[in-house]
Parts: sequence; structure tokens; C-alpha cells
Amino acid sequence: MAASCCAAIIRASRNSLVRIPCLVQRNIGAIHTNSALLSIKNSELDQFQLGVRVRSKQWDRYNEIVYPPLEEGQTPRPAEITHVRFNVKYSPEKLWYIACMVRGMSIDEAIKQVSFYKRQGCVHIKEVLLEAQEMAVRDHNVEFKSNLWIADSFTEKGEVVKGLRKHRSLRYGIVHYRYSHYFVRLREGKPPKHYYPPPLTGHEKMEEYIRDMRARRIAFGL
Amino acid sequence: MALSLAKLTRTNNKVLVQGFDAINIVRKGAPVIFQQQIARFPSSKHYEPKFRELRRKKFLKINLPDYQKLRTERDLPADEARMNMKKEGRLPPRTFQERPVNISCTTSVFEPFIPPEGDGKSSMLSTEGAKDRLTALQMKGKSRLELRKIRKYEEGFDIKEFAHTAQDILLQAQYLLQNVEENEDQLHDLVTEKAYPEMTFGLWNKTLRWKFIESVEPPRSVHVRTTDMLSKTNIYAQITVRMHTRQILALYDRFGKLMYGSEHLIKDVLEYVVFESHIADTYGKWRIHGKIIPDWMPPREPLIKTYRKPVFEEIPDEEEIKNEQKPEEITPASSGPSLAAA
Repeated sequence: MAASCCAAIIRASRNSLVRIPCLVQRNIGAIHTNSALLSIKNSELDQFQLGVRVRSKQWDRYNEIVYPPLEEGQTPRPAEITHVRFNVKYSPEKLWYIACMVRGMSIDEAIKQVSFYKRQGCVHIKEVLLEAQEMAVRDHNVEFKSNLWIADSFTEKGEVVKGLRKHRSLRYGIVHYRYSHYFVRLREGKPPKHYYPPPLTGHEKMEEYIRDMRARRIAFGL
Repeated sequence: MALSLAKLTRTNNKVLVQGFDAINIVRKGAPVIFQQQIARFPSSKHYEPKFRELRRKKFLKINLPDYQKLRTERDLPADEARMNMKKEGRLPPRTFQERPVNISCTTSVFEPFIPPEGDGKSSMLSTEGAKDRLTALQMKGKSRLELRKIRKYEEGFDIKEFAHTAQDILLQAQYLLQNVEENEDQLHDLVTEKAYPEMTFGLWNKTLRWKFIESVEPPRSVHVRTTDMLSKTNIYAQITVRMHTRQILALYDRFGKLMYGSEHLIKDVLEYVVFESHIADTYGKWRIHGKIIPDWMPPREPLIKTYRKPVFEEIPDEEEIKNEQKPEEITPASSGPSLAAA
């Protein structure tokens, strides 16, 4: 696919590099016919709005689960809010590092860290976290906006637009302009002490060793 | 020699670190030898800025789709969106000229009933007050005239019996509200299109529990009005029914936590519910059209959770704006010291 694209473009750009439209066709210019949707705000229910993917198939549906009223004696269920942003102009592998950093932090700590971390993807993550926090208080009956922590935070590969980079003579390299999807789930309460299982203490390691040793058996023995 | 960050970038992320040279101290007059260590910092820039332009030309210029811009455009208010479209030379959207008109109900409560103050409060003291209240609740002249109109279209319409059927309609509708998704069709039979969103707004993703205990006073029809739409014979009738009942209301959020009300506390509720029917239609049904909440009614209980009070910008009255404009015209004359005083 790259070769066929290259051949046509190389012919065009033999003398000088010419500005070539996006290799992946996007009807962004033809939005005016759909602009009537701007007046209808109920389009929040649609998955696609003006060519922008807004609602996910499954991640947002977690927000629609309704649990039955709590009976006396039941422990209160912590509120959970999912949020997503599609097609963030940032590589998913790079965004993954920031998403990982934010996991298991309280929402205030996460926003603080992400505000001062020197990466471009942080801007997007901060916006998503603030949006999710606002949604939690407004729509999901969360009382204190600071009483949230990040239970899930991950990225997915979004769109990839392929461009070209000229090397010496007729050699071309493919350049990938990557987009990511960022998913986050906030949960009410204090963040846990350990998000990932903590490393075993010496005592625990010893117990494990002893347990494994004692579990040895002779197969097919008497 | 500590270099600042700004200096670092200018020197292409190279830091000249002064190394310690013991020889300098011993040999005076000898040439000073500095150990220079070049420390490089990670950067996406090439270490030689000289050929930046040529290097940039190697990359094919591509118009990447800007989803962030589309996201912000989507959320803009209408006038700002229009300004943006003008700048870009895009045509305005075609206005949706076909608006669906609903003829099955009117859009508001016409000539609403003004409930007398102090209604619903029992006072053992004055019998005169009680008499006044009773007379206030009786139907007055215009209501009786309108009632005659209704009797033309509906034979054998008994206003007193209607009050009881109205209460039944209300109770049934409230019970159905507990599961809006399942009972949507039945609810539309009992509630007009105008009142339906008012009743069901915000009930998605929540659990509602409502119970009717008993009625404190029998329901009374208190107010009758008719209106016409499009033509004089196309008449709609609205009857306000006063109901004094004891109810239980509890609203739970998505996670089963109590948001409002209580399942154990019974409350005395005084309601003035407006019922509407398209009486010109032979199959017109009496449905809930709205509720009248008088100003003197004690406010509802707040939500159980604490929340921030929303801060709204004060909307200046038209009179205030005019008053602001007038003094501006007068001030130029009185700005400086008046000649008369001098």
C-alpha cells in the first residue's frame, strides 16, 4: 500500500516537495450540511457528532448501570464514573506512561501531578479528569469532588494517518501521525494503599517457601 | 558556573561543566587547563540547527484532522459558532422549518388558579377564617360558566365525581413513574405531552419509590377554564383539583444511596393539580397537565447530600439599564465646576 502511494507521489514531487492533501480522506470541510446538529444539544445520545467520535459502545454504558436501593445493613456502594476521550493527537504508547502514572492516585493528586509533568499528553489527560470529576458531581450524586480516585486509566490506539518523509534520491520513509483514545474510571472514596500487589515482605517470602516445600509429593508413590 | 535552563537550550542542550584541575593551584603562571564535559539532554531537536529548513522540507505537509477543534466547536453556543462559520466562509446551516406541532394538548396552564394563602393549615382558633377558606375554594362565576361549556361536549359530566377520578389518575401516574421505561405508553395515556418531561426529567439512572397512604381531605375541583387553539370550536378544558394527601417519597441514586426523601416518613402533601382534556375530541381523555405551586407554600426539603450553591450572574432589569444610561447624558454638564458657583 505504501509503495503504490509512494509511486504516485514521487512522480508529483520529483522536482520539489509539494503540499499533498491528507492521505486518509476526511470530510471535515463538508460539515456545514450537518451543522444543523449544532442547534440540537440532544445529540449527546449519538455516537458520532459532526464526524467526531464522542460516545463509546461499551465504556460509557457503565454509567447507565442502576443498582437497586441499599437495604439496611448493606455497606454503601462507592460511586463509579467512566469517561473517555477519543482521538487525542498523541501517541498511545507515550500517553500510556502518563495513564499509568495516574492510576491509583486520588483525583486531586492526579490533577496536580499531571499539571506539572513535562509531557504534551498531560494536557489531554488533565482535561478528561476534570470533565469526569464535574460529571461525577453533577450527574452521579457524588457529594465531594475530592473524594474520588482513579480506578482505571488506560489508552488505546486511535486513528493513524500515514505521511511520507523523503530520504536521499527516490527513498521515502513512512511517518505515522498517531491518535489515541484515553479511558478513565473514577471511584468514590480514598485511594487504596497499594494499587498493584505490593512486593512480598521477607516474612511472607519465607512462608511461601515453606508452603511450597511442604506441598511437594512423590508422584505415583506408595 | 551554573547555567540556567534558558541558556541550556540556546547552546543546544550542551552544558560545559567546569572540571576541577589541581594543577592550576600548584603551577602559577602556567596556562589554565579546564576539563570540559559535554552533557547532552534528551530533545527532539537536531543538534545542528543550521539545516532546519531543509530538514523540514523533507516531510510531506499533511492536513491532519483536528478532533480537538471539532470537540470545542461542538460545544460552542450558537452565536459564537455562527461567527466561526462566517470567518471560515462556511454557509449557515439550513434551518429546520418543519416543526412538529402537537395538537393533543396545550402548552401551558391558562389563567392559573391562585390558591388562597394559609390553605391546608388547620387552625383551631378562628371559625371565621375557616369559613373564608371554604368560600375561597368554592368555584366562582367564571368557572361555573366554563363548566357549562364542558357539559355541552361531555354529557353527564359531574364535577364532584371528576375530582375523585382525577385523584385516581394522579395516583396511578405516580405509581407508574417508578419504572418509566416499562410504563412509558401507559404514562402517556395519563399525562399530557407538556407535563410528561416535567414529571420524568432526571429519573433515568435513578430509583423512585412512591406510596400513597391516605387522603386527609376528599379531593375538590376548584377551578375550571377552557381555551381554544387554531379555531374557536377546537376547545381544551383545564380543571384544577385540590388534593390533600399523605404520601411517601424516596429517591435513590444509581448506587442505591438515598438522595431525597425517606421511605419511612409520611408527609402531608397539599397539591393543586391541573388536568386537561381535548373536549372537542370525542376520544379526549383527562390527563395531568401541570401543577400549581403557590409562593406561600413552604419550600421542599433540600437534597440529603451537601453541594455548592450555584452562582448566577445577576440579570439587570430593563429599568435599571435605562436608569444607568440617563445619568451619563447629564454628567458632561455637571462634570466641571459650574460657572454660576464660580
